[in-house]
Amino acid sequence: MRDAYIVESVRTPGCKNGRGLFKETRPEELLSFIMKACVDKAGIDAGEIDDTMIGCSFPEGEQGINIGRIANQMAGFPESVSGATVNRFCSSGIEAIALAALRIQAGWSDVTMGGGVESMTFVPMGGNTPRPHPEYANENPAAYISMGVTAENVASRYGITRQECDEFAVNSVAKAAKAQEEGLFTEIVPTPAYRSVEQADGTFKREQFLVDKDDGVRAGTTVEGIARLNSPFKAGGVATAANSSQTTDGAAATLLMSLDKCEELGVKPIAKIVAYAVAGCKSDEMGIGPVFAIPKALKIAGLKVEDIDLFELNEAFSTQALYCSRELKLDMDKVNINGGAIALGHPLGCTGAKLTATLLANLKRTGGKYGIVSMCIGGGMGACAVFEMV
Amino acid sequence: MTRKIRKAAVIGSGIMGGGIAALLAGAGINVLLLDIVPFDLTDEEKSDPAARNRMVQNGLNATLASKPSLFMTKKDASLIEIGNLEDDFDKLADCDWICEVIVENLAIKQDLFKRIDGVRKADSIISSNTSGIPLAKMSEGLSDSFKKHFLGTHFFNPVRYMHLLELIPGAETKQEILDFIANFGEVNLGKGIVWAKDTPNFVGNRIGIQGMGFVMNAVVEDKMSLAEVDGIFGPLMGRPRTAVFGTSDLVGLDTMCHVADNTVELCPEDDMKDTMVVPAFVKQLVTDGKLGNKTKEGFYKKGFTPEGKYFKHQIDPQTGEYVEIVKPDFPCLAEAKKMESSADKLKAIVYGEDKGAKFAWKCVSNSLQYAAKRVPEISDTIVEIDNAMKWGYNYEMGPFETWDAIGVKESCAKMEAEGLEVPANVKAMLAAGKETFYKIENGKNCYYDFPSDSYKAIELSDSALSLEVCKADGGLVKTCASASLIDIGDNVYCLEFHTKMNALNEEIVNFMGEVYDFLDENAAGLVIGNQAGGMPGAFSAGADLSFVSKMAHAKEYDKMDAFLEKAQMGMLKMRYASFPVVAAPYGMTLGGGCEVCLAADKMVAHAELYMGLVEIGVGLLPAGGGCLNLWKNYIDALPAGTQKDTDLAKLFVPTFMKIGMAAVSMSAAGAVANGHLVPNRDRIIFNRDLQIGEAKKEVLRMVEDGYAPPRKTRVRVIGREGQGMINAEIFNMLQGGFLSEYDAELAKRIAFVISGGDVKKNTEVTEEAILKLEREAFVDFSKHEKTIARIDGMLKTGKPVRN
Repeated sequence: MRDAYIVESVRTPGCKNGRGLFKETRPEELLSFIMKACVDKAGIDAGEIDDTMIGCSFPEGEQGINIGRIANQMAGFPESVSGATVNRFCSSGIEAIALAALRIQAGWSDVTMGGGVESMTFVPMGGNTPRPHPEYANENPAAYISMGVTAENVASRYGITRQECDEFAVNSVAKAAKAQEEGLFTEIVPTPAYRSVEQADGTFKREQFLVDKDDGVRAGTTVEGIARLNSPFKAGGVATAANSSQTTDGAAATLLMSLDKCEELGVKPIAKIVAYAVAGCKSDEMGIGPVFAIPKALKIAGLKVEDIDLFELNEAFSTQALYCSRELKLDMDKVNINGGAIALGHPLGCTGAKLTATLLANLKRTGGKYGIVSMCIGGGMGACAVFEMV
Repeated sequence: MTRKIRKAAVIGSGIMGGGIAALLAGAGINVLLLDIVPFDLTDEEKSDPAARNRMVQNGLNATLASKPSLFMTKKDASLIEIGNLEDDFDKLADCDWICEVIVENLAIKQDLFKRIDGVRKADSIISSNTSGIPLAKMSEGLSDSFKKHFLGTHFFNPVRYMHLLELIPGAETKQEILDFIANFGEVNLGKGIVWAKDTPNFVGNRIGIQGMGFVMNAVVEDKMSLAEVDGIFGPLMGRPRTAVFGTSDLVGLDTMCHVADNTVELCPEDDMKDTMVVPAFVKQLVTDGKLGNKTKEGFYKKGFTPEGKYFKHQIDPQTGEYVEIVKPDFPCLAEAKKMESSADKLKAIVYGEDKGAKFAWKCVSNSLQYAAKRVPEISDTIVEIDNAMKWGYNYEMGPFETWDAIGVKESCAKMEAEGLEVPANVKAMLAAGKETFYKIENGKNCYYDFPSDSYKAIELSDSALSLEVCKADGGLVKTCASASLIDIGDNVYCLEFHTKMNALNEEIVNFMGEVYDFLDENAAGLVIGNQAGGMPGAFSAGADLSFVSKMAHAKEYDKMDAFLEKAQMGMLKMRYASFPVVAAPYGMTLGGGCEVCLAADKMVAHAELYMGLVEIGVGLLPAGGGCLNLWKNYIDALPAGTQKDTDLAKLFVPTFMKIGMAAVSMSAAGAVANGHLVPNRDRIIFNRDLQIGEAKKEVLRMVEDGYAPPRKTRVRVIGREGQGMINAEIFNMLQGGFLSEYDAELAKRIAFVISGGDVKKNTEVTEEAILKLEREAFVDFSKHEKTIARIDGMLKTGKPVRN
């Protein structure tokens, strides 16, 4: 099987759901912009692309009707470019990149795009019309369990304390704030956003403006400051709004090619995807998914944890991120070096694609070779992709 | 010209001003709330509008934060515009009513009114909420127009909850202005109007403060403890639970002393003014800053010991020290508890022989004397005095009603025997052979008028329909121990409950069935309502739980099902009857009480409405059509033709939550928000005294508009799809420890009922089918030991059991 190479990987900023700078910008607008920006940065003709695979956790409403195709057309790609929407909840973005890579590895395509999008402003977590099966929900309610409750289960089953969680969260925010200040988020493409501004006569006018950074980073967050928050998920619980990921709007895109095509087009590859694995676990403690997925992917890649230079481990909740890091004995200096989803946001189906862009930027800057993107997945799964810089 | 209050100004944003502003906003009036610019602004702040409005902003914030809330709903605050007396004074020119509620200082008030005189529009009304300063002095030297439009409007604290509004005409106030404000106060603001004269402290506080003053002096003389006194002058005597000293702590000792001192000073002619001289131990408390609840200590001191144990201590009037409370144990109190009626309870206390009884008699007889001597000084009739005490002090009876209750002749004889003075006017009344202050004559409530030595009808507005008077006037059509059917005129009948807390029992259910044929044949329409006392009182606190408990313990499930079916079908029959049914809920309208209202064609609700389907608290569900009818309220709110394509989950989840979480409104506006009241169908009125009359008018209007019963249709439900959602969500709440296992079980079954049972989404089912699901669930719940434990716990302690 031939290798699939990444030639470009970019993302929009992540902005807070409902109150953030993208609250009036549709998911198709975010996605089509970043897809076009990805192609433009790579300097190729979009007509070269065979297929675009787009991850989305709740592909309905504004991000329904196969946004994978709609967005590539909105981006101005030729009609010949196909598109699909991919859903594996929180790993949808990395799943899409993996599928895009597989097409190249199988020899079915030469150029593909993988990406992800989620506007949690427009489509809430759980979707617009959640309808669990009545009997199955009664007998196996954990199949539909709230993510917050799983976070509490991880804490109580594996002994994660409130203090640890709050410290972890504060650390994540501090790293992100520092990285913002130092301009380290080079994978971000300043993205046009929209807002309707009320005029003097009461009518509204739609205006465009540019967003160039993640808007949920609360610099100066302290452990004392967030200690007073209560868990909304469990009476006396440990997972709070401040030590859990933010719900976020954002999009990301990654362009992949075969080596032949790189040479033909004169494009310099950045990295290749070495392995991708998913693993199932109990749905009521879905947060521990990476504990199974990471070793599985490393085994495929023939690598050990120590070989990995950087991790982008999605911080769905402090409880699970702490547990996974501890259980896998990760070197915390390598994990989420510029902060994680607690500070930067977790736009569900976009996250895998977003973290890929961040990981590659960080590996490039730090001179690392191997990197991992991993996350837990609702319903009880984990996903892990291993990348190697070239 | 038709006079209107398009916009009102309230000047002064303290607890009274804020309360008046909140009440006006609740009544839908635009309000301009003004206060002074703070004195202590820095130079920088002097040009900052927010800083200049700091006083009024703080006042409004405090009003919004008040508990119990002075606002019917916090949204009302959007009708209140704030400003200060320097930058926004000219805005008063737009106001139809300017109500002054500032500091009790004559010079400051005079200055303010002079400025208002300069900017007000020609026909605007100006009033003062002062309690102690003569009107005549405040308006001295102002324009004729001002004086013609100026009066006293004295509200009581807390404004939203206290029914009393004393109106004080100035010497030159136009009658038209007085009539208008009286009507506006009664109808729009829901207040009970008492006409007072321009005498110090008007009616309520004059009588009230004398009563308190006398008691405070008497405790010292008679060596009574405060808790003993409050034990006597509490609910057993038809007074609020806080009685004398608890109420003083609530009001503030400083305020109370101010009113007392003021009376003594301004009423040199009052021959009983000495009774109001504040005793030394009270003066000392004020000097020490022990002002009551606002300073955490006053007559009582409450708190927690270092070990975290709650304590409540009382001042010993002899020593001025806080001491332990010993619960009063007077035989007269035990005797009173055995009595049914308020009059018998009173008699048991004032005519008792023990120390407590003697003390009660001493105080009560004195206050009766005082009240009789104030007519006509402070008001022309005894009615004003009685109303002021009922509405401003929450007494069940005013002094003259109390006098009737304990027997005028009997008590006067006792007074004379003890060498106490019987006021001359009362003596004359007895001599003329009149032995009561009140009686019902020709279908009207009448009072004894001293000057004319005759009974005169109490003048009431047209809507002030009294069920008691209707009954006394031969209107009782049919009655039983629990309910009555009363002819309220114009072929409209009223179904009145009169059980304890107006709880619904088997007798009421049977009664409703029994009167149906009569109503079908004779009635233009039916009002379901009652006029039980209390603040807020209870339209109906729900089903009679002891009856349910009995059936559950005896495992009489068939009987239970039959009872529920009879109740459901009775209400359904009324719903589709030939005549309109208007329910008149007020106060606590819970469980079955709420279901009766939901089944009616329309509600005329009192603004103070605490409505909800709370059955889950006792391990049950609404099975008198409550699940069905609340769901219908939600789904029928959709415009025609849109039901089918609407995501019913958006309606189903809130309906379920209201029942599953036992949501109870804190006002009628809150009941609209909860979906129990339907906007544009149901009406909210502010004055409970007018409620039955307004409900009757509503019935007649419906008849006049050509009433036809609603068409019976099937009900669209969410079906199994809704159940899945709730089953999944309940699991999360259970995992989070927010529910017990049994709560979860109940909630899922309730969801099953509201969703219409085993059907796919959007199926239309019959009303009877949902009613059957209600009954089946109710019976199944009552088989469960945890439901029985909840019911029995509630019956025993009055508090919900969590299991």
